[in-house]
Amino acid sequence: MTHDPAGNMEHRGQLADSVADFAARGTDIARVRKLRGTAAEYDRAIWKKMAELGWLGILVPDQHGGLGLGLTEMAIVARGLARGLAPEPLTATAVLSATALVAAENEALKREQLPRLVSGQVLPALAWQEEAGALDPAAVRCTAVAFEGGYKLSGTKRFISGSGQADAFLVTARAGEAVVLLWVPRDTAGARLSLETLADGRAFGTLELKDALVPKAHVAASGAAATAALALAFDHANAIVAAELAGVMDRALEMSVEYLKTRVQFGKPIGSFQALQHRAVDLHIHREVANAVLEESLATLDLRPAAAARAAAASRVKARCADAALKITREAIQLHGGIGFTDDYDAGLYLKRAMTLAAWLGGATWHRRRYAQLTKGATT
Amino acid sequence: MSAAAAIPDYNAKSDEDFRSEVRAFVEREYPPQLRFILQRARWHEMKGWWGKLYAKGWIAPNWPREDGGMGLDAGKMLIYMEEFERHGCARPPDQGITQVGPLILRFGTPAQKAWYLPRTLSGECIWCQGYSEPNAGSDLASLQTAAVIDGDDFVINGQKIWTSLADDATHIYLLVRTDKSAKKQQGISFLLVDMKTPGIQLRPIVNLAGHGEFCQVFFDNVRVPRNTLLGQMNDGWTVAKALLGFERLGIGSPRRPQYALRRLEAVARAKGLLEDPGFSDRFIALKLDIEDGAALYGRFVEQVKRGEPLGQDVSMLKIWTMETWQRLTELLIEAGAEQGVVAGVQDVAGVETDFLNPFYYSRPATIYGGSSEIQRNILAKYVLKLPS
Repeated sequence: MTHDPAGNMEHRGQLADSVADFAARGTDIARVRKLRGTAAEYDRAIWKKMAELGWLGILVPDQHGGLGLGLTEMAIVARGLARGLAPEPLTATAVLSATALVAAENEALKREQLPRLVSGQVLPALAWQEEAGALDPAAVRCTAVAFEGGYKLSGTKRFISGSGQADAFLVTARAGEAVVLLWVPRDTAGARLSLETLADGRAFGTLELKDALVPKAHVAASGAAATAALALAFDHANAIVAAELAGVMDRALEMSVEYLKTRVQFGKPIGSFQALQHRAVDLHIHREVANAVLEESLATLDLRPAAAARAAAASRVKARCADAALKITREAIQLHGGIGFTDDYDAGLYLKRAMTLAAWLGGATWHRRRYAQLTKGATT
Repeated sequence: MSAAAAIPDYNAKSDEDFRSEVRAFVEREYPPQLRFILQRARWHEMKGWWGKLYAKGWIAPNWPREDGGMGLDAGKMLIYMEEFERHGCARPPDQGITQVGPLILRFGTPAQKAWYLPRTLSGECIWCQGYSEPNAGSDLASLQTAAVIDGDDFVINGQKIWTSLADDATHIYLLVRTDKSAKKQQGISFLLVDMKTPGIQLRPIVNLAGHGEFCQVFFDNVRVPRNTLLGQMNDGWTVAKALLGFERLGIGSPRRPQYALRRLEAVARAKGLLEDPGFSDRFIALKLDIEDGAALYGRFVEQVKRGEPLGQDVSMLKIWTMETWQRLTELLIEAGAEQGVVAGVQDVAGVETDFLNPFYYSRPATIYGGSSEIQRNILAKYVLKLPS
């Protein structure tokens, strides 16, 4: 393990402090509950505050108004926010969309939109997926037909995270043989968004496109550059989802252990019973293994390895954190007993967030299979 | 000790230089037929290797240089261990080096040090551990083997069990009850006993693998001098407890499951099982359990290298490593189908595989060195701070 330059450590310390401060004063579970199932999905005023703290620009280079830091820094913020279940689309926008755009080819578009993304003025969502479980960025059926130097766009995009109050979409489409990545403002004629409510009260958007016109200036990337940008965004977003899952498990486990210490039955705190102690210990071990993998994977990814190694690291950490978070949050319900099954109690919110994060951008089994493919014959 | 002057300061070497020096030595000198064996190596097999390590001054990496050890710091110690494990070196009967030696160094009288330490290094004294009893396993402090003072002697009566390689040992270090009226942990003393003392009898116990690796040791009016007492009278529990931490890091090393994984992968490849989605899903999940456990191990290793003591949380490493190892050996048996239950080495499409022994030898891994359940109790109490 290498030593971090002092500058990195300072950034990390400052980030951790500002996240802790924000979690204590900027958000709470009552706010999270109020936003559940609403069309707004999240709060633009809070989003603006997150922008002011610099968080939206962590992965954006400084020439585009960002901080030019790494995934390790972004993970600190994502984990801290997930602990408090903030519904704002940090990963969807400031990781998935931002990374795709940063890696895109259209410099004029980047100069125009990236500073606005960083400042919170524009909130773009990445609309790339079309079918459940189909996670190949190149498997696109939406069509982009050449028209007056730009494209006419048709088809349906699904499972768009962060779309509730998105101002624009980065849409993938097939232009002949090539995949293109296009910037499509929400109010584009021929584009219609609808929302499906998720288990945790956030939403997936469905974007229906019928002959939507995209000027040439809005073509972010084409061909190999487009699929490479998407693959990078996909892997980096999965690593940050893993960090969010870690934040979810941190709090869910903490709640469960606190409950075991205070809930009295048979004249004793139930945490004195060995059956429950051992269950809690197993959850703790799963969390620590996930932590170790998260730390290692973020360090690996921040070294910017080649695509295959990057994909393997992202899949490994997503699979581990998804399984650990699901186990910890499901068992949180069991350890709490009846109260854990009530909507009033927060344990269920953590379970539902873990479920939606685990399913988004590929579940544990999908990622393990990809890892197996990528590391075939590489057992050390 | 005369050898001390000749032993260089290995800590002054770079990690890379030290690693290649250790690697070259084990590759050149370690008996090839004893690489990656599962059963505990016997003294007659290991004598030659011990002699080579002793001659080089490498038998006791953890002891100070002035006492005939290598005086390695934590970082170098890990490299030494890693290289031995990487090459598949079996543990010799090394409890004198790893266990009782450091305790003698810490608690021994000058006379005890002068007598035992050089002999332990040379292999003249081979030690075994007399802790567990038929009625004192996980609850070790309830041990009943008693030593009573009679003139200048202790007279020992009772029995010890699960004593690994007792039939190879010349000496046994014992926990005995010396005060029956004191509370559990407080009336225990630590004795260093010659196995040739009249009244000691051994009964080998055959394990599930069919090997007689451990023994029951009976003490019938065994009379030993009072200078066999290590540390203070009735303070043996403190002596025994002084050794923890590093031992538990070693026991949680991912090397054994990693080795078992390679065997499983070779068999699976030979049989085309990796193309079977059901098998393949289970295989990759286990592979990741091992790699991810190695990441956890890496965190504790970094802690040791920084010179920080290991806390009670290191218990999780043993639980994860050993339980993963067991699951892996279970899948290996399954992968072998009918061949998986045939004794001895089997030919699987050209890959020579022993299916049963890995399974057998992973069974007690969740029992010895503090069972998985005891480790979980420790984590519940000291890490999660759950009430008792």
